[in-house]
Amino acid sequence: MSHTNRNFVIAYVLLVLVPLVALAGILRVGHSIKAPISVDGTWNLHLDSAQLGSLPCGKTLAATPEKALVVSQSGESFVLSFANGPRVASFGTLDGAILRASLNPSATWAEETGCGAGRRLSLVATINPSSKPRSMAGKLSVDDCPSCSPAEFYAFQQAAPPSKGGH
Amino acid sequence: MPDLLTLVLQIAVILAVCRLVGSLFRTFHQPRVVGEMFAGILLGPSLLGWIAPQFSAYLFPSSSLGFLNALSQVGVVIFMFLVGLGINPKELKHQSHAAVLTSHVSITAPFVLAALLALYLYPKLSDDSVSFTNFALFMGAAMSITAFPVLARILSERDLLSSRLGTVAIACAAVDDVTGWCILAYIVVLIRAAHQATSIWITLGGILLFAVAMIYGVRFLLRGFERTFRKHGEISENLMALMLLLALASALCTQRLGIHLLFGSFLMGAIMPKEAKFVRYVLDRFETITITLLLPLFFAFTGLRTNIGLVKGPQMWTYCLLIIFVATIGKLGGSMAAARLSGMPLREAAGLGTLMNTRGLMELVILNIGLDIKVISPALFSMMVLMALFTTFMTTPVLELICPDRLLRRDPTRAEQQGVSLEGLALKTSDGSAA
Repeated sequence: MSHTNRNFVIAYVLLVLVPLVALAGILRVGHSIKAPISVDGTWNLHLDSAQLGSLPCGKTLAATPEKALVVSQSGESFVLSFANGPRVASFGTLDGAILRASLNPSATWAEETGCGAGRRLSLVATINPSSKPRSMAGKLSVDDCPSCSPAEFYAFQQAAPPSKGGH
Repeated sequence: MPDLLTLVLQIAVILAVCRLVGSLFRTFHQPRVVGEMFAGILLGPSLLGWIAPQFSAYLFPSSSLGFLNALSQVGVVIFMFLVGLGINPKELKHQSHAAVLTSHVSITAPFVLAALLALYLYPKLSDDSVSFTNFALFMGAAMSITAFPVLARILSERDLLSSRLGTVAIACAAVDDVTGWCILAYIVVLIRAAHQATSIWITLGGILLFAVAMIYGVRFLLRGFERTFRKHGEISENLMALMLLLALASALCTQRLGIHLLFGSFLMGAIMPKEAKFVRYVLDRFETITITLLLPLFFAFTGLRTNIGLVKGPQMWTYCLLIIFVATIGKLGGSMAAARLSGMPLREAAGLGTLMNTRGLMELVILNIGLDIKVISPALFSMMVLMALFTTFMTTPVLELICPDRLLRRDPTRAEQQGVSLEGLALKTSDGSAA
């Protein structure tokens, strides 16, 4: 083997083969890392419409047929919207199995009697990751309204699309 | 039925904005593609949807996006056929040790660094429906890709295709793209197989059989196109239509086999005859409509999926900067180090690293596949789009800074014999800018 060829082989082993071995090690280590619970997708929402309708800002949502939450997840944070309901800009966070989101009603939603501009709703729920399909139970409450009793709800995650990047 | 008025209005606005921003970027000596990628983001929720949400909802109602996506996908299928057409396997053979080492390191370095970064990002930007292996492999594939057409065009514009830097860069980019797409195909198969009744081995066997049939069977039949071109100096419209049909049929086969449309069209392009004049002729016929009409739709569709608002707060921006840093260090640094170790002068090695760091449209294609199969989250998608924009944007000014033309053109190696055959590689737009 010539000097040039030997140098090439050494460089190739060090710069290509050793990193590939390192890659195998990284993939092995990565198996033990836990990612947040998946909440991405559409959740069929079940709640008492009468209880929800009695809340400020609750009537518009209570009037929505087939209520569904749409969650677009990015790790521990997510964007939440209502599939058939009023437009709402909402960011939320996931802390273990606890899901928290703050909902800011859009201008048209805020026109609902008793809602008012600048009012916010809070959604807190606990996810049951072991149930199939996944479920969550929680409360929807109105901020700055201690006298308003929160509306309780539960929701089931719709089946994930077939192309999900699973295990 | 699509709302035709909405669709036509969307296409008109997208074309106008892309041409305008693309031209603006040309004045900064940037490839038009960078401007068009940027225009797509401007039309999405990151700008238009943010400053004029009602107009954005009127122009791009969610019910209409399926049609826009379908049109843009047709464009990307044809574009990938053209990318495959531009890759000449002969360029990959008989490469010097420098080219072999550099091309392999330019894949492994960003791949391993991306996997290392995945250890940190997986618990923060992914969820438990995606396995770490899939996440890390996808990050690796996405970071190790090079925008072969953009790179070829930059070299062509600077008259560097026949320089040592140019030939090594072209060979490395071709190796990177072929390898990157193979890895991506494997990841897509892994992910889809998990949700299908068919065994992964049957899927992989089917893909292998298809690839063998294409390379050792169909490839020889395709020589008829080149023979006709040599004989008549042109190809009839019927034959051009047949070529397109074959690309679409191949795309459908790979989609049916469980990977993606784009792999089939890329493979069909890759096995087409590679005589330079023939390649240039076919590119000229297809690229005008693809690059001026269909690809801007893809940029707009990508922009509509990119929400920079999801990169919220200092923590998320830190992740984004980390991604850009790792992508640049892995690709630019890795290629540069390997080229330097192979004996390339420092400036040229740095120039090669800079060129290899160009990701452009190819990155967007891969990222869209990743988002479709949900192996990356919307926020990570947005960060990776920013990375693609940044690394493509930096190429021209950095190359000019560290590797001025006057120094590179002195290199005499391989100029004559390589110069002609490489001319056909670069995709271009009607005004000659890079795709």
